[in-house]
Amino acid sequence: MSLTSRPPTLRIHAPTPTTVSYTVSTRPYPDTFPLLLLHHTKLLIRIICGLLISVLLFAKWRLTFPLPEAQQSDIESLVLSGAIGTFAFKIAQAIDWRVLGPACLAVGMGVLTRGYTEESLLVLRGLGIQTSSSSATYLSSSVTRFIPTTSIQDIFIHEAFKGFQVRFYLAVVVSGEEDVVVVFPKLLPRRQILEEVWRGTRKCLHEPPADK
Amino acid sequence: MRYNIAMISDYFFPQPGGVESHIYQLSSKLIDRGHKVIIITHAYKGRTGVRYLTNGLKVYHVPFFVIYRETTFPTVFSFFPIFRDIIIRERIEIVHGHGSLSSLCNEAILHGRTMGLRAVFTDHSLFGFADAGSILTNKLLKFTLSDVDHVICVSHTCKENTVLRASLDPLMVSVIPNAVVAENFRPLNYVEPSEDGQTGTRLPPINLLGPDDTITIVVISRLFYNKGTDLLIAAIPRILASHKHVRFIIAGSGPKAIDLEQMVERNVLQDRVEMLGPVRHEEVRDVMVRGQIYLHPSLTEAFGTVIVEAASCGLYVVCTQVGGIPEVLPARMTQFAKPEEDDLVAATGRAIAALRANKVRTERFHDQVKMMYSWTDVAARTERVYEGISGALPEEEFYGIHAAGAWTATRGRAGVQSFALMDRLKRYYGCGIWAGKLFCLCVVIDYLIFVALEMIYPRSGIDIAKDWPKKRIDGSPNRDKFASLNRSRSSRHRDKR
Repeated sequence: MSLTSRPPTLRIHAPTPTTVSYTVSTRPYPDTFPLLLLHHTKLLIRIICGLLISVLLFAKWRLTFPLPEAQQSDIESLVLSGAIGTFAFKIAQAIDWRVLGPACLAVGMGVLTRGYTEESLLVLRGLGIQTSSSSATYLSSSVTRFIPTTSIQDIFIHEAFKGFQVRFYLAVVVSGEEDVVVVFPKLLPRRQILEEVWRGTRKCLHEPPADK
Repeated sequence: MRYNIAMISDYFFPQPGGVESHIYQLSSKLIDRGHKVIIITHAYKGRTGVRYLTNGLKVYHVPFFVIYRETTFPTVFSFFPIFRDIIIRERIEIVHGHGSLSSLCNEAILHGRTMGLRAVFTDHSLFGFADAGSILTNKLLKFTLSDVDHVICVSHTCKENTVLRASLDPLMVSVIPNAVVAENFRPLNYVEPSEDGQTGTRLPPINLLGPDDTITIVVISRLFYNKGTDLLIAAIPRILASHKHVRFIIAGSGPKAIDLEQMVERNVLQDRVEMLGPVRHEEVRDVMVRGQIYLHPSLTEAFGTVIVEAASCGLYVVCTQVGGIPEVLPARMTQFAKPEEDDLVAATGRAIAALRANKVRTERFHDQVKMMYSWTDVAARTERVYEGISGALPEEEFYGIHAAGAWTATRGRAGVQSFALMDRLKRYYGCGIWAGKLFCLCVVIDYLIFVALEMIYPRSGIDIAKDWPKKRIDGSPNRDKFASLNRSRSSRHRDKR
């Protein structure tokens, strides 16, 4: 929760006049060199941590269910006989399953959690709109939903109770469906952002009158 | 001066009733006068979230747990976070609660004062002093009204009752009656008076009753104990037995409906008593104009809007002389009875006799009622209360000449209630030996919650809702001036903290 407490920012990408993509995201965009460096360092640490715990778990596995030397594959022996491998064996011997399991699980979750939320709305004139919402972890892909123009009845901004607050939301009315489709359902950005998206979407989705 | 007002009550549409329509009519007339009004109520079945009604009246149906007769569970603090959010996003300055049994209203007044807002309370009902339930309710009311800027009652009887129950300074209680939309309650064959004011031609024809013409008695009420349904059940057979050409039409539903049906069946009165079941408010007029007499057997009533509606429809009113009812209509329109079986039967008999003798000019009632009651007038008087409590009116003008110089604990020196926590605690402490301390504790906790909420959900994180677009009246820079005034007040409040 504390990771997503950054106020979401809006990015608009309009390659052609009939296509606009609105992305609302809590992801920080590194634009200066130190920030870029920090970003990549974080990424590297994540990868290393992820590899370490997998080796550690594998070592524990081997310790608990040992195999004869001959059955080990080349990569396995290469990994486990190296410096990291022996270190992993040492730790694995010292720590009990009941501690190691949850600890690895926690680190694994930390490595796999996305740490930011990104939601977008892609508007294509004559085709429809596509909403997408990023998943919480790197394991699953983002959830997308395409709504063709013919079934869009209306797009509006309204307010609703959410927890202890009243929040604005942008919603699409789809014909034949009981509930509206909420755009940016996780982030629920501020009214100013929603209004910009709403105006842009309506302008882009519908053909302008011919004599203007 | 233009105010942002929040009307808060547990009772609102889609539920029918007097309080509900009072809030709606008052709000829409206040909007017409240029104020911004929102309504906060709890969620009804199928009504949750934010809705707009005619004229840009915004209604927040807050999801809450309902315990009894559409009243929410009384939790002292749980409403605060969402209340604060709504108040900030709508930039509310005055909290106006309705109905003393509504816990939402009680909470809102407490939280509103904690947030530094002006609070007004309108009482719509009368209560006893003797039984355990009343004592508890009165204590709760005393708690809420210890720190309120002004109280509005719907009748003088109601004012007396409220002043006694909540130990209030009578100067801070105003009487503003309910009203009716007279256009919705026209008699049959009513001709709209012409604009040129020719009184000779505008009177509708006198409807003379022959001795054998049927007189229809209409009863429209929710069939609850306090509405006097038991009295009605006892009186109907006796009235029908002693008068030959009399019929009854009864509309409404409630727990006593079954008793009423049993009475009809026991006395085999199916052809003379017509039970319509629940009717919608807009159909009330069509039911009323089918009769000549309106019978109102209520046991307790603070105002009784329905008898005004009946008189407006041109019905002669028979009612019990309880609560604020005697203040409502002039004696020529009504026939009073004591709230007991014998007297109700006798009064109905007198009314039937008077109609048969053509002594009552019921066709004039509509125009007279139209002159007496209008929501525009109610809104203007309520607006004056808002001006008085916010200091726009000088103290002498608002409270009368007697108040000058008399400084009381309930009112500050400038005639307006101080927001300082210490002053508020002093007001609550006087409520009783134990109750005073308990109330102070509640207020302190409420204040701490407020401070915590300011940190958890900072004001900067709350979006300001857009006002309903309105045609600008000339000279509206007033609006901007007001906004800056508002800002300076809230910043001052922050500094104090």
